[in-house]
Amino acid sequence: MNIIEINKLTKYYGKARGIIDVSFNVKKGEIFGFIGPNGAGKSTTIRTLLSLIYPTSGSAKIFGKHIIKDGPEIRKEIGYLPSEIFYYDKMKVKDLLKYSASFYKKDCTKRMYELADIMELDLTRRIEDLSYGNKKKVGIVQGLLHEPKLLMLDEPTSGLDPFMQKKFFDLVVEENKKGTTVLFSSHILAEVQQLCNRVAIIKEGSIVKIEDIKKLQEDHYKKIIIKGKDLDVKKFNIPEVKELVKNNNELSFFYNGDINKIIQTIGSGIIKDILILDPSLEEIFIHYYK
Amino acid sequence: MNVIKRELRAHLKALIIWSICIFIMIMLSMSEFSVYYNNPELAAILDTMPKAMLKAFSINSANLTTVSGYVSILSIYFYIMLGIHAVLLGSSIISKEERDKTAEFLYTLPTSRQKIITGKLVAAVINCLILLGVTCLAVIVAILKYEPGETFFAFLKLNMLSIFFIQMIFLSIGMLMASIIKRYKKSGSISVSILLGTYILSVGISFSDKIEFMKYITPFKYFEPLYLLNENKMEGVYIIISSILILICLIGTFYFYPRRDLRI
Repeated sequence: MNIIEINKLTKYYGKARGIIDVSFNVKKGEIFGFIGPNGAGKSTTIRTLLSLIYPTSGSAKIFGKHIIKDGPEIRKEIGYLPSEIFYYDKMKVKDLLKYSASFYKKDCTKRMYELADIMELDLTRRIEDLSYGNKKKVGIVQGLLHEPKLLMLDEPTSGLDPFMQKKFFDLVVEENKKGTTVLFSSHILAEVQQLCNRVAIIKEGSIVKIEDIKKLQEDHYKKIIIKGKDLDVKKFNIPEVKELVKNNNELSFFYNGDINKIIQTIGSGIIKDILILDPSLEEIFIHYYK
Repeated sequence: MNVIKRELRAHLKALIIWSICIFIMIMLSMSEFSVYYNNPELAAILDTMPKAMLKAFSINSANLTTVSGYVSILSIYFYIMLGIHAVLLGSSIISKEERDKTAEFLYTLPTSRQKIITGKLVAAVINCLILLGVTCLAVIVAILKYEPGETFFAFLKLNMLSIFFIQMIFLSIGMLMASIIKRYKKSGSISVSILLGTYILSVGISFSDKIEFMKYITPFKYFEPLYLLNENKMEGVYIIISSILILICLIGTFYFYPRRDLRI
Protein backbone atom coordinates (compact mmCIF):
# COMPACT_ATOMS: atom_id res chain seq x y z
CA MET A 1 0.00 0.00 0.00
CA ASN A 2 1.29 3.42 -0.91
CA ILE A 3 1.25 6.13 1.73
CA ILE A 4 2.51 8.80 -0.65
CA GLU A 5 1.80 8.78 -4.36
CA ILE A 6 3.32 11.58 -6.37
CA ASN A 7 2.37 11.90 -9.99
CA LYS A 8 4.29 14.25 -12.29
CA LEU A 9 4.39 16.99 -9.72
CA THR A 10 5.73 20.21 -11.19
CA LYS A 11 6.28 23.53 -9.50
CA TYR A 12 7.56 26.74 -11.00
CA TYR A 13 8.07 29.89 -8.97
CA GLY A 14 7.20 32.30 -11.71
CA LYS A 15 9.80 31.33 -14.26
CA ALA A 16 12.20 29.83 -11.75
CA ARG A 17 12.35 26.08 -11.63
CA GLY A 18 11.19 24.36 -8.49
CA ILE A 19 10.57 20.75 -9.43
CA ILE A 20 9.74 19.15 -12.77
CA ASP A 21 7.67 16.00 -13.25
CA VAL A 22 8.53 14.48 -9.92
CA SER A 23 6.93 11.07 -9.51
CA PHE A 24 7.51 8.48 -6.81
CA ASN A 25 5.65 6.40 -4.29
CA VAL A 26 6.39 5.76 -0.66
CA LYS A 27 5.10 2.46 0.68
CA LYS A 28 3.57 1.87 4.05
CA GLY A 29 6.12 1.20 6.75
CA GLU A 30 9.24 2.15 4.86
CA ILE A 31 11.84 4.78 5.52
CA PHE A 32 12.19 6.51 2.20
CA GLY A 33 15.26 8.59 1.58
CA PHE A 34 15.09 11.68 -0.55
CA ILE A 35 18.53 12.89 -1.43
CA GLY A 36 19.96 15.70 -3.44
CA PRO A 37 22.07 18.80 -2.93
CA ASN A 38 20.73 22.12 -1.72
CA GLY A 39 18.38 23.70 -4.21
CA ALA A 40 17.56 20.44 -5.97
CA GLY A 41 13.89 20.65 -4.99
CA LYS A 42 13.61 18.49 -1.88
CA SER A 43 11.95 21.14 0.24
CA THR A 44 9.77 22.26 -2.68
CA THR A 45 8.44 18.71 -3.01
CA ILE A 46 7.75 18.38 0.70
CA ARG A 47 6.13 21.83 0.95
CA THR A 48 3.91 20.99 -1.98
CA LEU A 49 2.86 17.76 -0.29
CA LEU A 50 1.91 19.82 2.77
CA SER A 51 -0.01 22.42 0.70
CA LEU A 52 2.21 25.25 1.84
CA ILE A 53 2.66 25.89 -1.86
CA TYR A 54 0.58 24.65 -4.74
CA PRO A 55 1.78 22.65 -7.74
CA THR A 56 1.90 24.19 -11.20
CA SER A 57 0.81 20.84 -12.58
CA GLY A 58 0.63 17.22 -11.55
CA SER A 59 -0.92 15.78 -8.45
CA ALA A 60 -0.18 13.83 -5.32
CA LYS A 61 -2.01 11.72 -2.81
CA ILE A 62 -1.24 10.93 0.79
CA PHE A 63 -3.11 8.10 2.51
CA GLY A 64 -4.98 7.85 -0.78
CA LYS A 65 -6.39 11.35 -0.33
CA HIS A 66 -5.88 14.45 -2.42
CA ILE A 67 -3.17 16.68 -0.93
CA ILE A 68 -4.98 19.97 -1.48
CA LYS A 69 -8.65 19.11 -1.12
CA ASP A 70 -8.14 16.85 1.89
CA GLY A 71 -5.15 18.75 3.26
CA PRO A 72 -6.41 19.41 6.79
CA GLU A 73 -7.54 15.82 7.22
CA ILE A 74 -4.30 14.38 5.88
CA ARG A 75 -2.24 16.60 8.16
CA LYS A 76 -3.86 15.08 11.25
CA GLU A 77 -1.63 12.08 10.68
CA ILE A 78 1.50 13.86 9.47
CA GLY A 79 4.42 14.94 11.58
CA TYR A 80 6.60 17.51 9.85
CA LEU A 81 10.06 18.61 10.81
CA PRO A 82 11.20 21.50 8.60
CA SER A 83 14.86 22.09 7.85
CA GLU A 84 14.82 25.40 9.69
CA ILE A 85 12.69 25.78 12.76
CA PHE A 86 10.82 28.99 13.48
CA TYR A 87 8.31 29.40 16.26
CA TYR A 88 6.73 32.33 18.05
CA ASP A 89 9.70 33.85 19.86
CA LYS A 90 7.83 35.09 22.89
CA MET A 91 6.19 31.78 23.70
CA LYS A 92 7.46 29.29 26.21
CA VAL A 93 8.34 25.86 24.82
CA LYS A 94 5.57 24.25 26.83
CA ASP A 95 2.93 26.71 25.64
CA LEU A 96 4.04 26.30 22.05
CA LEU A 97 3.80 22.52 22.28
CA LYS A 98 0.40 22.74 23.97
CA TYR A 99 -0.77 25.13 21.27
CA SER A 100 0.38 22.71 18.61
CA ALA A 101 -1.28 19.80 20.45
CA SER A 102 -4.57 21.71 20.68
CA PHE A 103 -5.05 21.26 16.94
CA TYR A 104 -5.05 17.48 17.20
CA LYS A 105 -8.18 15.95 18.54
CA LYS A 106 -6.47 13.79 21.09
CA ASP A 107 -4.56 14.09 24.31
CA CYS A 108 -0.88 14.48 23.52
CA THR A 109 0.31 15.52 26.97
CA LYS A 110 1.87 12.19 27.96
CA ARG A 111 3.74 11.76 24.70
CA MET A 112 4.88 15.38 24.88
CA TYR A 113 6.61 14.84 28.25
CA GLU A 114 8.06 11.50 27.11
CA LEU A 115 9.60 13.06 24.03
CA ALA A 116 10.88 16.10 25.89
CA ASP A 117 12.50 13.71 28.31
CA ILE A 118 14.18 11.69 25.56
CA MET A 119 15.43 14.80 23.77
CA GLU A 120 16.44 16.45 27.07
CA LEU A 121 14.39 19.51 26.29
CA ASP A 122 13.73 22.18 28.90
CA LEU A 123 10.03 23.03 28.56
CA THR A 124 10.11 26.15 30.68
CA ARG A 125 12.32 28.28 28.44
CA ARG A 126 11.26 30.85 25.93
CA ILE A 127 11.67 30.04 22.24
CA GLU A 128 13.78 33.16 21.67
CA ASP A 129 16.32 32.03 24.29
CA LEU A 130 16.93 28.69 22.61
CA SER A 131 19.95 27.78 20.52
CA TYR A 132 19.53 26.46 17.00
CA GLY A 133 19.96 22.88 18.16
CA ASN A 134 17.47 23.30 20.98
CA LYS A 135 14.90 24.76 18.60
CA LYS A 136 15.40 21.67 16.50
CA LYS A 137 14.59 19.58 19.55
CA VAL A 138 11.35 21.51 20.01
CA GLY A 139 10.62 20.78 16.36
CA ILE A 140 11.21 17.07 16.87
CA VAL A 141 8.90 16.95 19.88
CA GLN A 142 6.28 19.04 18.07
CA GLY A 143 6.46 16.81 15.00
CA LEU A 144 6.07 13.61 16.97
CA LEU A 145 3.75 14.43 19.86
CA HIS A 146 0.55 13.44 18.08
CA GLU A 147 1.97 10.05 17.09
CA PRO A 148 1.64 10.58 13.35
CA LYS A 149 1.38 7.80 10.77
CA LEU A 150 3.67 9.64 8.38
CA LEU A 151 6.79 11.56 9.26
CA MET A 152 8.23 14.10 6.88
CA LEU A 153 11.74 15.05 7.86
CA ASP A 154 13.44 17.79 5.87
CA GLU A 155 17.16 17.71 6.60
CA PRO A 156 16.40 16.90 10.21
CA THR A 157 19.86 16.50 11.64
CA SER A 158 21.39 19.91 10.98
CA GLY A 159 22.15 21.60 14.28
CA LEU A 160 22.02 18.44 16.36
CA ASP A 161 25.18 17.16 17.97
CA PRO A 162 26.13 13.51 17.18
CA PHE A 163 24.76 12.31 20.49
CA MET A 164 21.35 13.92 19.92
CA GLN A 165 21.45 12.83 16.31
CA LYS A 166 21.73 9.23 17.44
CA LYS A 167 18.88 9.66 19.91
CA PHE A 168 16.80 11.17 17.17
CA PHE A 169 17.58 8.33 14.75
CA ASP A 170 16.67 5.81 17.43
CA LEU A 171 13.41 7.65 17.87
CA VAL A 172 12.70 7.56 14.15
CA VAL A 173 13.51 3.85 13.94
CA GLU A 174 11.34 3.16 16.97
CA GLU A 175 8.43 5.05 15.42
CA ASN A 176 9.02 3.19 12.18
CA LYS A 177 8.80 -0.15 13.98
CA LYS A 178 5.44 0.95 15.35
CA GLY A 179 4.31 1.33 11.73
CA THR A 180 5.11 4.95 10.97
CA THR A 181 6.16 5.65 7.40
CA VAL A 182 9.03 8.09 7.04
CA LEU A 183 10.05 10.42 4.23
CA PHE A 184 13.58 11.46 5.01
CA SER A 185 15.15 14.24 2.99
CA SER A 186 18.84 14.84 3.29
CA HIS A 187 22.04 15.74 1.53
CA ILE A 188 24.12 13.71 3.94
CA LEU A 189 24.41 10.25 2.44
CA ALA A 190 25.75 8.42 5.45
CA GLU A 191 22.56 9.05 7.39
CA VAL A 192 20.37 8.03 4.50
CA GLN A 193 22.44 4.87 4.11
CA GLN A 194 22.05 4.18 7.79
CA LEU A 195 18.27 4.55 7.95
CA CYS A 196 16.54 4.18 4.64
CA ASN A 197 15.14 1.26 2.68
CA ARG A 198 14.74 3.04 -0.61
CA VAL A 199 15.95 6.34 -1.97
CA ALA A 200 14.95 8.80 -4.61
CA ILE A 201 17.74 10.95 -5.97
CA ILE A 202 16.74 14.41 -7.09
CA LYS A 203 18.87 16.66 -9.24
CA GLU A 204 17.99 20.10 -10.54
CA GLY A 205 14.33 19.56 -9.88
CA SER A 206 13.99 16.14 -11.48
CA ILE A 207 14.14 12.66 -10.06
CA VAL A 208 17.22 10.93 -11.42
CA LYS A 209 16.72 7.54 -9.88
CA ILE A 210 14.61 5.63 -7.42
CA GLU A 211 16.17 2.52 -6.03
CA ASP A 212 16.62 0.16 -3.13
CA ILE A 213 19.47 1.41 -1.08
CA LYS A 214 21.14 -2.02 -1.26
CA LYS A 215 20.70 -2.27 -4.99
CA LEU A 216 22.17 1.15 -5.43
CA GLN A 217 25.32 -0.05 -3.77
CA GLU A 218 25.46 -3.63 -5.14
CA ASP A 219 24.35 -3.42 -8.72
CA HIS A 220 25.61 -1.67 -11.71
CA TYR A 221 28.77 0.15 -10.90
CA LYS A 222 32.01 -1.30 -9.76
CA LYS A 223 34.89 0.85 -8.85
CA ILE A 224 38.04 -0.53 -10.41
CA ILE A 225 41.57 0.52 -9.56
CA ILE A 226 44.48 -0.87 -11.55
CA LYS A 227 48.09 -0.38 -10.67
CA GLY A 228 50.97 -1.00 -13.00
CA LYS A 229 53.57 0.62 -15.26
CA ASP A 230 52.83 1.98 -18.72
CA LEU A 231 49.09 1.44 -18.50
CA ASP A 232 47.34 2.09 -21.77
CA VAL A 233 44.56 4.60 -21.13
CA LYS A 234 43.19 4.47 -24.66
CA LYS A 235 41.85 0.97 -24.51
CA PHE A 236 39.62 1.93 -21.57
CA ASN A 237 37.84 4.48 -23.66
CA ILE A 238 34.73 2.33 -24.00
CA PRO A 239 31.15 3.42 -23.18
CA GLU A 240 30.90 1.24 -20.06
CA VAL A 241 33.78 3.07 -18.40
CA LYS A 242 33.11 6.31 -16.55
CA GLU A 243 35.24 8.75 -14.64
CA LEU A 244 38.50 7.44 -15.93
CA VAL A 245 41.38 8.94 -13.98
CA LYS A 246 45.06 8.27 -14.54
CA ASN A 247 47.37 9.02 -11.68
CA ASN A 248 51.06 8.12 -12.07
CA ASN A 249 50.99 4.35 -12.12
CA GLU A 250 47.38 4.04 -11.17
CA LEU A 251 44.17 3.97 -13.18
CA SER A 252 40.77 4.26 -11.55
CA PHE A 253 37.29 4.26 -13.06
CA PHE A 254 33.70 3.18 -12.60
CA TYR A 255 32.50 0.28 -14.68
CA ASN A 256 28.94 -0.62 -15.55
CA GLY A 257 28.58 -3.69 -17.79
CA ASP A 258 29.69 -7.25 -18.38
CA ILE A 259 32.49 -7.99 -15.96
CA ASN A 260 34.11 -10.50 -18.35
CA LYS A 261 34.58 -7.85 -20.93
CA ILE A 262 36.50 -5.57 -18.60
CA ILE A 263 38.62 -8.47 -17.33
CA GLN A 264 39.58 -9.19 -20.91
CA THR A 265 40.37 -5.57 -21.55
CA ILE A 266 42.52 -5.34 -18.47
CA GLY A 267 44.11 -8.74 -19.04
CA SER A 268 46.17 -7.77 -22.02
CA GLY A 269 48.19 -5.17 -20.10
CA ILE A 270 50.97 -5.30 -17.53
CA ILE A 271 49.32 -5.16 -14.11
CA LYS A 272 50.86 -5.02 -10.68
CA ASP A 273 47.68 -4.88 -8.66
CA ILE A 274 43.94 -4.69 -9.18
CA LEU A 275 41.09 -3.64 -6.89
CA ILE A 276 37.42 -4.17 -7.72
CA LEU A 277 35.20 -2.40 -5.22
CA ASP A 278 31.56 -1.55 -4.53
CA PRO A 279 31.43 2.18 -4.80
CA SER A 280 30.31 4.07 -1.71
CA LEU A 281 27.00 5.86 -1.87
CA GLU A 282 28.93 9.10 -1.94
CA GLU A 283 30.66 8.04 -5.11
CA ILE A 284 27.45 6.88 -6.72
CA PHE A 285 25.87 10.08 -5.68
CA ILE A 286 28.60 12.25 -7.10
CA HIS A 287 28.31 10.28 -10.27
CA TYR A 288 24.63 11.12 -10.64
CA TYR A 289 25.45 14.75 -10.34
CA LYS A 290 28.06 14.83 -13.06
CA MET B 1 -10.80 29.00 19.35
CA ASN B 2 -7.15 28.26 20.04
CA VAL B 3 -6.13 30.61 17.23
CA ILE B 4 -8.29 33.42 18.66
CA LYS B 5 -6.74 33.00 22.10
CA ARG B 6 -3.24 32.86 20.67
CA GLU B 7 -3.76 35.99 18.55
CA LEU B 8 -5.31 37.94 21.40
CA ARG B 9 -2.32 37.16 23.56
CA ALA B 10 0.12 37.98 20.76
CA HIS B 11 -1.43 41.41 20.18
CA LEU B 12 -2.09 42.28 23.83
CA LYS B 13 1.05 44.36 24.28
CA ALA B 14 0.45 46.40 21.13
CA LEU B 15 -3.17 46.91 22.13
CA ILE B 16 -2.18 48.22 25.55
CA ILE B 17 0.29 50.67 23.99
CA TRP B 18 -2.31 51.87 21.47
CA SER B 19 -4.89 52.24 24.25
CA ILE B 20 -2.57 54.33 26.39
CA CYS B 21 -1.64 56.56 23.43
CA ILE B 22 -5.25 57.09 22.41
CA PHE B 23 -6.27 57.80 25.98
CA ILE B 24 -3.52 60.37 26.47
CA MET B 25 -4.21 61.98 23.11
CA ILE B 26 -7.89 62.40 23.93
CA MET B 27 -7.17 63.73 27.41
CA LEU B 28 -4.73 66.30 26.05
CA SER B 29 -6.95 67.51 23.23
CA MET B 30 -9.97 67.70 25.49
CA SER B 31 -8.08 69.75 28.02
CA GLU B 32 -7.60 72.29 25.25
CA PHE B 33 -11.36 72.48 24.95
CA SER B 34 -11.63 74.50 28.17
CA VAL B 35 -10.24 77.44 26.17
CA TYR B 36 -13.00 77.27 23.59
CA TYR B 37 -15.88 76.27 25.83
CA ASN B 38 -18.60 78.96 25.78
CA ASN B 39 -16.21 81.50 24.31
CA PRO B 40 -18.04 83.71 21.76
CA GLU B 41 -14.93 85.85 21.00
CA LEU B 42 -13.17 82.81 19.61
CA ALA B 43 -16.16 82.01 17.49
CA ALA B 44 -15.92 85.53 16.03
CA ILE B 45 -12.27 84.98 15.10
CA LEU B 46 -13.11 81.72 13.41
CA ASP B 47 -15.73 83.43 11.29
CA THR B 48 -13.01 85.51 9.64
CA MET B 49 -11.08 82.45 8.46
CA PRO B 50 -11.46 81.02 4.92
CA LYS B 51 -14.48 78.72 4.66
CA ALA B 52 -12.67 76.02 2.68
CA MET B 53 -9.95 75.68 5.25
CA LEU B 54 -12.41 75.31 8.07
CA LYS B 55 -14.36 72.82 6.05
CA ALA B 56 -11.24 70.78 5.43
CA PHE B 57 -10.82 70.39 9.15
CA SER B 58 -14.56 69.98 9.79
CA ILE B 59 -14.61 73.13 11.89
CA ASN B 60 -17.21 75.83 11.96
CA SER B 61 -17.83 78.59 14.45
CA ALA B 62 -20.90 76.96 15.86
CA ASN B 63 -19.27 73.71 16.81
CA LEU B 64 -15.97 74.66 18.32
CA THR B 65 -17.57 76.06 21.44
CA THR B 66 -19.93 73.18 22.26
CA VAL B 67 -19.06 69.75 23.62
CA SER B 68 -20.57 67.79 20.76
CA GLY B 69 -19.07 70.18 18.26
CA TYR B 70 -15.62 69.87 19.70
CA VAL B 71 -15.79 66.08 19.76
CA SER B 72 -16.97 66.17 16.17
CA ILE B 73 -13.82 68.07 15.23
CA LEU B 74 -11.69 65.51 17.01
CA SER B 75 -13.56 62.73 15.25
CA ILE B 76 -11.49 62.95 12.10
CA TYR B 77 -8.40 62.21 14.21
CA PHE B 78 -10.18 59.24 15.78
CA TYR B 79 -10.92 58.00 12.28
CA ILE B 80 -7.28 58.32 11.27
CA MET B 81 -5.76 56.87 14.43
CA LEU B 82 -8.09 53.94 14.82
CA GLY B 83 -8.05 53.46 11.07
CA ILE B 84 -4.26 53.19 11.08
CA HIS B 85 -4.44 50.76 13.98
CA ALA B 86 -6.97 48.63 12.12
CA VAL B 87 -5.19 48.66 8.77
CA LEU B 88 -1.84 47.73 10.33
CA LEU B 89 -3.45 45.08 12.47
CA GLY B 90 -5.27 43.58 9.50
CA SER B 91 -2.16 43.52 7.39
CA SER B 92 0.19 42.18 10.05
CA ILE B 93 -2.10 39.58 11.57
CA ILE B 94 -2.06 37.85 8.18
CA SER B 95 1.45 38.58 6.93
CA LYS B 96 3.36 38.05 10.18
CA GLU B 97 3.29 34.28 9.78
CA GLU B 98 5.33 34.63 6.62
CA ARG B 99 7.44 37.47 8.02
CA ASP B 100 8.39 35.45 11.12
CA LYS B 101 8.57 32.25 9.07
CA THR B 102 6.07 30.63 11.40
CA ALA B 103 3.81 29.83 8.44
CA GLU B 104 5.63 26.53 8.06
CA PHE B 105 4.49 25.62 11.56
CA LEU B 106 0.98 27.07 11.62
CA TYR B 107 -0.19 26.04 8.18
CA THR B 108 1.04 22.45 8.44
CA LEU B 109 -1.23 21.88 11.42
CA PRO B 110 -4.36 19.86 10.71
CA THR B 111 -6.64 22.76 10.01
CA SER B 112 -7.53 24.79 6.96
CA ARG B 113 -6.20 28.25 6.21
CA GLN B 114 -9.79 29.50 6.17
CA LYS B 115 -10.28 28.40 9.75
CA ILE B 116 -7.03 30.02 10.85
CA ILE B 117 -7.82 33.36 9.22
CA THR B 118 -11.34 33.22 10.66
CA GLY B 119 -9.73 32.99 14.09
CA LYS B 120 -7.40 35.83 13.21
CA LEU B 121 -10.32 37.95 11.97
CA VAL B 122 -12.28 37.41 15.18
CA ALA B 123 -9.22 38.30 17.28
CA ALA B 124 -8.63 41.43 15.19
CA VAL B 125 -12.25 42.56 15.52
CA ILE B 126 -12.05 42.07 19.28
CA ASN B 127 -8.87 44.18 19.31
CA CYS B 128 -10.63 46.93 17.36
CA LEU B 129 -13.63 46.84 19.67
CA ILE B 130 -11.46 47.13 22.76
CA LEU B 131 -9.62 50.12 21.31
CA LEU B 132 -12.94 51.66 20.35
CA GLY B 133 -14.16 51.08 23.91
CA VAL B 134 -11.07 52.82 25.26
CA THR B 135 -11.69 55.76 22.90
CA CYS B 136 -15.32 56.03 23.96
CA LEU B 137 -14.41 55.81 27.63
CA ALA B 138 -11.69 58.42 27.31
CA VAL B 139 -14.07 60.85 25.60
CA ILE B 140 -16.71 60.35 28.29
CA VAL B 141 -14.20 60.75 31.11
CA ALA B 142 -12.77 63.90 29.54
CA ILE B 143 -16.17 65.45 28.84
CA LEU B 144 -17.94 64.59 32.08
CA LYS B 145 -17.18 67.88 33.83
CA TYR B 146 -19.04 69.80 31.10
CA GLU B 147 -22.18 67.86 32.03
CA PRO B 148 -23.07 66.74 28.51
CA GLY B 149 -26.73 66.20 27.74
CA GLU B 150 -28.68 63.66 25.76
CA THR B 151 -27.80 65.21 22.42
CA PHE B 152 -24.13 64.63 23.14
CA PHE B 153 -24.60 60.97 23.92
CA ALA B 154 -26.79 60.51 20.87
CA PHE B 155 -23.98 62.01 18.80
CA LEU B 156 -21.34 59.95 20.61
CA LYS B 157 -23.23 56.77 19.78
CA LEU B 158 -23.31 57.64 16.09
CA ASN B 159 -19.72 58.73 16.22
CA MET B 160 -18.52 55.46 17.76
CA LEU B 161 -20.57 53.47 15.27
CA SER B 162 -18.91 55.44 12.47
CA ILE B 163 -15.47 54.75 13.88
CA PHE B 164 -16.36 51.08 14.02
CA PHE B 165 -17.28 51.13 10.34
CA ILE B 166 -14.01 52.89 9.53
CA GLN B 167 -12.10 50.31 11.57
CA MET B 168 -13.78 47.40 9.82
CA ILE B 169 -13.20 48.94 6.38
CA PHE B 170 -9.50 49.39 7.00
CA LEU B 171 -9.09 46.11 8.86
CA SER B 172 -10.50 44.25 5.88
CA ILE B 173 -8.41 46.30 3.44
CA GLY B 174 -5.30 45.44 5.46
CA MET B 175 -6.15 41.74 5.45
CA LEU B 176 -6.83 41.76 1.73
CA MET B 177 -3.55 43.52 0.97
CA ALA B 178 -1.62 40.98 3.03
CA SER B 179 -3.38 38.22 1.10
CA ILE B 180 -2.83 39.46 -2.43
CA ILE B 181 0.53 41.24 -2.28
CA LYS B 182 3.21 38.70 -3.03
CA ARG B 183 5.87 40.58 -1.10
CA TYR B 184 4.40 40.38 2.35
CA LYS B 185 6.89 42.94 3.68
CA LYS B 186 5.20 45.61 1.60
CA SER B 187 1.63 44.91 2.61
CA GLY B 188 1.82 47.08 5.73
CA SER B 189 3.18 50.15 3.99
CA ILE B 190 0.81 49.76 1.04
CA SER B 191 -2.15 49.44 3.41
CA VAL B 192 -1.18 52.59 5.29
CA SER B 193 -0.63 54.38 1.99
CA ILE B 194 -4.19 53.54 0.98
CA LEU B 195 -5.42 55.00 4.25
CA LEU B 196 -3.41 58.20 3.94
CA GLY B 197 -4.23 58.49 0.24
CA THR B 198 -7.95 58.33 0.89
CA TYR B 199 -7.59 60.79 3.74
CA ILE B 200 -5.75 63.30 1.56
CA LEU B 201 -8.42 62.80 -1.08
CA SER B 202 -11.11 63.57 1.47
CA VAL B 203 -9.33 66.81 2.36
CA GLY B 204 -9.01 67.62 -1.35
CA ILE B 205 -12.73 67.12 -1.83
CA SER B 206 -13.40 69.73 0.87
CA PHE B 207 -11.38 72.26 -1.11
CA SER B 208 -12.73 71.54 -4.54
CA ASP B 209 -16.28 70.83 -5.63
CA LYS B 210 -15.04 69.45 -8.94
CA ILE B 211 -13.93 66.20 -7.43
CA GLU B 212 -16.89 65.87 -5.12
CA PHE B 213 -18.05 62.74 -6.97
CA MET B 214 -14.98 60.98 -5.56
CA LYS B 215 -16.44 61.11 -2.08
CA TYR B 216 -17.71 57.60 -2.67
CA ILE B 217 -14.22 56.16 -2.76
CA THR B 218 -12.82 57.65 0.42
CA PRO B 219 -14.13 56.18 3.67
CA PHE B 220 -13.29 59.44 5.43
CA LYS B 221 -16.22 61.05 3.61
CA TYR B 222 -18.70 58.34 4.54
CA PHE B 223 -19.43 59.46 8.07
CA GLU B 224 -18.70 63.15 8.24
CA PRO B 225 -18.90 64.27 11.86
CA LEU B 226 -20.76 67.47 10.97
CA TYR B 227 -23.44 65.52 9.18
CA LEU B 228 -23.79 63.16 12.15
CA LEU B 229 -24.06 66.14 14.47
CA ASN B 230 -26.57 68.13 12.45
CA GLU B 231 -28.73 65.35 11.06
CA ASN B 232 -28.41 63.01 14.02
CA LYS B 233 -28.14 59.99 11.72
CA MET B 234 -25.75 58.20 9.41
CA GLU B 235 -26.26 58.31 5.68
CA GLY B 236 -27.81 55.06 4.55
CA VAL B 237 -26.01 54.99 1.22
CA TYR B 238 -22.62 55.02 2.95
CA ILE B 239 -23.60 52.29 5.35
CA ILE B 240 -24.41 50.17 2.32
CA ILE B 241 -21.19 51.14 0.50
CA SER B 242 -19.13 50.42 3.62
CA SER B 243 -20.76 47.05 4.15
CA ILE B 244 -20.19 46.07 0.54
CA LEU B 245 -16.58 47.23 0.70
CA ILE B 246 -15.94 45.24 3.87
CA LEU B 247 -17.62 42.21 2.39
CA ILE B 248 -15.63 42.37 -0.83
CA CYS B 249 -12.33 42.70 1.03
CA LEU B 250 -13.15 39.81 3.33
CA ILE B 251 -14.35 37.58 0.51
CA GLY B 252 -11.13 38.46 -1.33
CA THR B 253 -9.07 37.57 1.73
CA PHE B 254 -10.83 34.25 2.19
CA TYR B 255 -10.51 33.53 -1.52
CA PHE B 256 -6.91 34.54 -2.16
CA TYR B 257 -5.09 33.71 1.05
CA PRO B 258 -5.84 29.98 1.03
CA ARG B 259 -4.69 29.81 -2.60
CA ARG B 260 -1.46 31.63 -1.95
CA ASP B 261 1.99 30.09 -2.18
CA LEU B 262 3.41 30.81 1.23
CA ARG B 263 6.85 32.32 1.20
CA ILE B 264 9.07 30.64 3.70
